[in-house]
Amino acid sequence: MSDIPLERGAIGVSTRRVGTRLPARVIVALICWLVIAIMAWPLVMSFLASFKPEAEVAAVPPDYLPHSFSLQSYLKVYGYQAGLPTYLFNSFMVAFLTIVFCLVLAVPAGYGLARFHVPFKEVLFLVLLASMMIPYQALLTPLFLMFTKLGLTNNHVGLAIIHTILQLPFSVYVMRNAFEGIPRELEEAAIVDGCSPLQILGRIFMPLAMPGMVTVSLFAFIMSWNEFLAALIFMSKETAFTLPVLLTGVIDSFYGSVSWGPLQAGVVVSVIPCIAIYFLLQRYYVSGFLSGAVK
Amino acid sequence: MRVLNARRVGAAVLATATAAFMTGTVFAQEMTMWVRDGTAANAGKVLVDLWNESRPDNRIELTVIPNLQMVTKLATSIAAGEPPDLISLDLIYMPDFMKADSLVDISDEAAENPNFDKVIDAYKDISSYEGRTYGTGFAPDVSVIAWNKDLFREAGLDPEKPPRTIYEIHEMAKKIAALGDDTYGFYFAGSCPGCNIFVTSPLMVAGGAKILPRDGEDTALEGEAVKEVLQVYRDMWTEGLVPESAETDNGANFVSGFTNGNVGIAGTGGFVIPLMESDFPDLDYGVALLPGLEEGQVSGFVGGDTIAIPRGSKNEELAREFINWVLTDEAQLEGLAKNGILPVRADLATDNKYFADQPKVQVTAEALKVGYVPWVFHFADMVNSDASPWINMLQRAVFDGEIDEAIEEARERMIEIAGE
Amino acid sequence: MYANSSRYVGLLFMTPALLFVAVFVLYPLGQLVYTSTTDASLLGGGEFVGLENYAKAFSDKGFWRSLWFTVSYTLYITPVLMGLGFLAALLTTENTRLKQFTRGAIFLPVVIGLATSSFIWLWLFDQQVGLFNRLLVDIGILDKPLVWFRKAELGQLAVIISVTWKIVGFGMILMVAGIQSIGDDLIEAAMIDGASYWQRVRRIILPLAARSILLATLISAIGSMLAFDQFYIMTGGAPRGQTFTSVYWIYQNSFVYFKLGYGSALSLILMVIIMAGAAVQIALTSRKGSS
Repeated sequence: MSDIPLERGAIGVSTRRVGTRLPARVIVALICWLVIAIMAWPLVMSFLASFKPEAEVAAVPPDYLPHSFSLQSYLKVYGYQAGLPTYLFNSFMVAFLTIVFCLVLAVPAGYGLARFHVPFKEVLFLVLLASMMIPYQALLTPLFLMFTKLGLTNNHVGLAIIHTILQLPFSVYVMRNAFEGIPRELEEAAIVDGCSPLQILGRIFMPLAMPGMVTVSLFAFIMSWNEFLAALIFMSKETAFTLPVLLTGVIDSFYGSVSWGPLQAGVVVSVIPCIAIYFLLQRYYVSGFLSGAVK
Repeated sequence: MRVLNARRVGAAVLATATAAFMTGTVFAQEMTMWVRDGTAANAGKVLVDLWNESRPDNRIELTVIPNLQMVTKLATSIAAGEPPDLISLDLIYMPDFMKADSLVDISDEAAENPNFDKVIDAYKDISSYEGRTYGTGFAPDVSVIAWNKDLFREAGLDPEKPPRTIYEIHEMAKKIAALGDDTYGFYFAGSCPGCNIFVTSPLMVAGGAKILPRDGEDTALEGEAVKEVLQVYRDMWTEGLVPESAETDNGANFVSGFTNGNVGIAGTGGFVIPLMESDFPDLDYGVALLPGLEEGQVSGFVGGDTIAIPRGSKNEELAREFINWVLTDEAQLEGLAKNGILPVRADLATDNKYFADQPKVQVTAEALKVGYVPWVFHFADMVNSDASPWINMLQRAVFDGEIDEAIEEARERMIEIAGE
Repeated sequence: MYANSSRYVGLLFMTPALLFVAVFVLYPLGQLVYTSTTDASLLGGGEFVGLENYAKAFSDKGFWRSLWFTVSYTLYITPVLMGLGFLAALLTTENTRLKQFTRGAIFLPVVIGLATSSFIWLWLFDQQVGLFNRLLVDIGILDKPLVWFRKAELGQLAVIISVTWKIVGFGMILMVAGIQSIGDDLIEAAMIDGASYWQRVRRIILPLAARSILLATLISAIGSMLAFDQFYIMTGGAPRGQTFTSVYWIYQNSFVYFKLGYGSALSLILMVIIMAGAAVQIALTSRKGSS
């Protein structure tokens, strides 16, 4: 699985330094494996259940492991209402737009904050962080009214804007930190060469701040992909649902009977991109997580 | 109403559901229609299939919406200007949507098409507001009382005689519960607001009570029958005539409470008749009108769905045509009745070849004629929500025994909501 | 430096983000305040009614019950998350392969959606087909499968179990960072003094990691106060609306009862309560952090 990298090494809280008593080490190792089993269990069960044929998913009492392999549940989800490809496309599109919006807004803002003297800088910084202090749940009603007038409901751009509201404070924070971490000498050399601030941003800073931008994109993706409440309210048309909203329909919509199999198939489909991205980019994920929360 | 959400219904129609969901996606659409999960989804499916068969160019794509999300989705889609072209919704929400001018006025159709006038009164009533018509009946349902004839025989009761008053319900329930530990006299879903407005409120209405207020000046929960019914429920509860699980049943066992076969009497809906036939053919039971305080008093709650056109529909003309077609003999008989679903036209409801030899269906048709439907605003808030004054009253009265206080509290709250 | 050549270049770079916040956060906030003084409905309309919605909120038992339920949920789950998070952090702080692997496993559910994880657990908890029920029966904790979502307390417990699984890794990561930033020399000195493992945890690690623990507590508590997804999906407010959280109650009023004006007033009240709570917690944090 994953090894979350943190800079510092062991710091003596381990049992190994206590006195190298073997039993203690073995016990700790056993605890570790037990914890891993507990954490993995629900996902593994859900994954296995998604491949059970209908009769097995509905069996009472249920069995842990499938007795046969079936794609029945996936086929059902695939053909559900407007079809899974539509919903996958919606989710990806909204997430993609959210990433674009976050980058377009947060990269220059972070640059401005990190590299210039701006009047009332810290006040403006706080304004940018406003949506961190105002729960977006509270803003959904006025935003809904506003978006109905602008035609932004049932619309990828509309939902992406909501997700950007949610994600902007974190993005600005990360980009500001990223730009502040770049040595002054580089900037000064560029000025001597006659670059404009925009050129400096584009040619020197953005490449160096790439890890920050990856972090911003990664978090924007995961948040947008998973967000539920706004999607539930703003996407009322069955062709506009995102994956989490689709699942509420899957569970309840086969004429009143709970469709556990297709639900688990839907769960697997929504979980896979998150886990894949997490494994691929976990270095950015964890460092972003800490820079956003700890500093 | 939540009562129709009873998941058990699904068993009977799962096969058709699969077919519905195949046909729903394969073809291009001309017109969209939403139907809520439950009985109406079944009616919607057979009617839309029938329509689509003969009109390949004007196909309707049917979408089943989870029951709990239906009104929210409909309201937000209308607000956003992108509603479906047709909507089959819980009839109880008609007043809210009509008042808000969210539905298309179809008074012209109603005036020109004689079939509109033949629809069961309750649906005509709930579909009109200030003299204008905004919809018509689509998938009827109505509450009745069901009794288990085998248990009646065992308890020495006449299996052909249903209870004719609420007091008789109590007496009979006592005798049946005496049969054994696992046998109970009566069942109701104690935590399900929708189930109880469906099967408990008609007992009160039959006894002369008025339940819901129409506005802030109106009365609510008036009449001795409110208290009497709650008292009988309370007594049956304390005497152990009702399974303990009833207290926390949020509707999941509304149907199975009776179909399990160990309960003597329970309120239920017409929709169980086809379900019983397919899933519980061996259970010998009868259905009758829900009684009141005295012999001869009867009522029922007329539920089910109405069909209407949301404001903003992109295919209004075609949608009007569909509504007209729904009321034709073809749709009512070859669509609904043939598939075991009650027609909405009073003249066809029982008088047809499919139901002529089905006495139980005849009873539900009768119930549709005498039954009531409350024409009120804010039904969700007043009754259907999990925190409504209606369910709070029932729970406080039956499980805590504070009957007078419970009625008083609920009455105040209902009038307050109605005044909004 | 450009910073010296013009004071407004930096501002220019910030302008798009500031405009965005003005249009999509501050303006809607103003609208929210305005809507809260009207009787606006989801189906349209809305006339000025002054402070009537606030007066109504004051006597709305449903709202206060939902608020109390949310507070109690927060009070239950926060210590669980922080306690288990801290233990997990202690367990996995050391950078050995197995421990990093464990850390990764604990953190994994953090990246999947709360809605998604609620759907997994809704199924696992099901009385008929739920494997969690089966597991509890198999290991002897339960006699027979439970119906989890029919009683408020059980439903709350089920949600707490599922959410703990989902986000315990969040607090853990913050605390691992906090613990790892403690100097080795300090701990080694304590070891030379003969302090046992748990003494070191209590006297050195806990006080020095306090800042990250309190920060994690704050973030987690605010998140719990705004809980919606898990209850919407798993309990649906049942039974009798006893498991409506505040946000759920606001959703219910705004989008099920269509009372947008009233819902707006409730939103503002909730916002003020949360901000006040956070302010108190931050005040406590900074005091403890400096001691």
